[in-house]
Amino acid sequence: MADWDELAEALADYTISCNTNERLRKMQREWSRTLHFVCADNGTTFSMEVDRGEILSTPEGHVGIPDIVVTTQSETFCDMFWGDLNPVAKYLRGEITVKGSQEDVMRLDAISSVIWPDA
Amino acid sequence: MADAEGAPPAAVALRRSVGVVTATATSAGLAFAAIDYLGVVSIMAFAPGATAALAILFGAVLVLLVAGIFSELNGLYPTAAGIRLYLTRAVGYRTALSVSFTYMTTVVLVIAADAFLIGAAVRHVLHEPSALAYVWIAVLLSLAWAANLRGVRLAGWVQTLVTYSVLSGTAVLSVIALFHVGGGLHRPFDLFGKSAFSGIQALAFALFLYAAFEWVTTTAEEARTPRVITRALFIAPVLIWIVATLFALALTHLVPFSVLHHSAYPQLLMGKAALGTVGELWMLALTVLTALNTFNGGFLVASRFIYAAAREGNLPRQFAQLNLNAVPWLAVTTLAGVSAVVAATVFATGEWLLLVAVGAAIESAIYALGSLSLLILRRRETRERTFRLVAGRPLTAFGVVLFTGLFLATGFSDPKDASRFSAAPIAIIAVLGALSTGYVLVFVPRLQAAAANRAAANRPRRRPHRPTKAVEETGSGTTPSVDA
Repeated sequence: MADWDELAEALADYTISCNTNERLRKMQREWSRTLHFVCADNGTTFSMEVDRGEILSTPEGHVGIPDIVVTTQSETFCDMFWGDLNPVAKYLRGEITVKGSQEDVMRLDAISSVIWPDA
Repeated sequence: MADAEGAPPAAVALRRSVGVVTATATSAGLAFAAIDYLGVVSIMAFAPGATAALAILFGAVLVLLVAGIFSELNGLYPTAAGIRLYLTRAVGYRTALSVSFTYMTTVVLVIAADAFLIGAAVRHVLHEPSALAYVWIAVLLSLAWAANLRGVRLAGWVQTLVTYSVLSGTAVLSVIALFHVGGGLHRPFDLFGKSAFSGIQALAFALFLYAAFEWVTTTAEEARTPRVITRALFIAPVLIWIVATLFALALTHLVPFSVLHHSAYPQLLMGKAALGTVGELWMLALTVLTALNTFNGGFLVASRFIYAAAREGNLPRQFAQLNLNAVPWLAVTTLAGVSAVVAATVFATGEWLLLVAVGAAIESAIYALGSLSLLILRRRETRERTFRLVAGRPLTAFGVVLFTGLFLATGFSDPKDASRFSAAPIAIIAVLGALSTGYVLVFVPRLQAAAANRAAANRPRRRPHRPTKAVEETGSGTTPSVDA
């Protein structure tokens, strides 16, 4: 089970990887969304504010009205944000659950796909 | 703590979510394609005259059973992975994957069929030489391909408007046709008039009219509440039943079956018989409108399935490559190319009714597998769900037997000549199934092994190691997932 410190560390790395990837920024240039995350094992929640492809903040707790809500184990979130796990496989097996439009789910996975093509 | 896996969906208010009206339009829009007009003629081949309406009614009753089964499955797993996840949980990963690949071929068939039918209809109205249908097929698929590559999507309200326009437009013109003097409703209850088996085949083809209505379960993640999908699953078949019944009666009333049977555009013939050129243009406009839903929904569903399969390592990873609009361009291009080849083949051979038979048989098989999945999952899953089918076990067992029977009935049918059997539909499905299974058993393990080797060679684990945590939390997944 990962605590908030581990999640925050993973999120910080993820934010840098996303915001410094020019191809990803271009791809997500019109994508502005509020994401909520729920750790099903320890109840930790956090948010992500994305503005035109740039991750602005990843605060603990839920902030704003979400466009997407992602729920899974805290360990899965950590591995996912470090790029050590392919989220699609977990999603297709029902281990990651998502609330949101299919287009947004696709965009969310596109981030991992672009910054870690070998994951 | 609750496990994310299988956790009941949280009651979360999303900024944008789908309500009953939109979900119903999605369900009905996915089902009601241009090929449905031909589907009605296929039913009439086995259930002559107004009897087709009886077959469509019985089909609707069976589809309500399907709606109940998929509602409970969706209540258990409200995910865009849909049938793939239900089958994985019920019968295993490989079987689910090979069935899903076969199922996706129906999307290609429907896209190809619609491209062909709309091309043929446009060519007919413009009085162009028949070879120009190829050009229209190419133009339509090129437009769909380009729009998809640019990431153009129909807004939800446009999709809703298009669906309700097509349904109401078809219903209104059919009612006008029914008031037309000069025709006659013949043999309304002659379901087994052609042969003892014809009624069963008519029923099997009637199911095809509703085919794909269950794909609305893939929008479960954006539904306002879980019950939205359940309501859509029950309302959409009723709408299709009303429209298809009116259309079948109008056809019977005004157009001789001998004329319909050799036509790729029965809806235009009905429109012309009812209101002359205005009616013909009316039905042409509706036919073209169906393409918006088919091409938008079909390309989206199939290309995202291919993308996900490639990301998961079940297809070559090139299929997961995204363009700058975040669209899996190779998946979309392959779909357009394959659809064009299938459409051109159908045009060259004139075997469009075979396409209907194959689609109807695959859909019956999917309903049988859906029933089987629920039968198995009812024993394994004790969780609460938003919908529970009354008398679930006997009904799902009945569904397995019934839909398997209808699969065989359509698989051995010849809609061109109702008096004889043909193994062509089931042979095509057997080939598709064998190719899918062979691919899953032979190539998928190789692709996955190659992906694992590539990842191990190129990409060391990035997450910092925390030894104390690893000891503390045995089995909680601190090691990288095998999926990575």
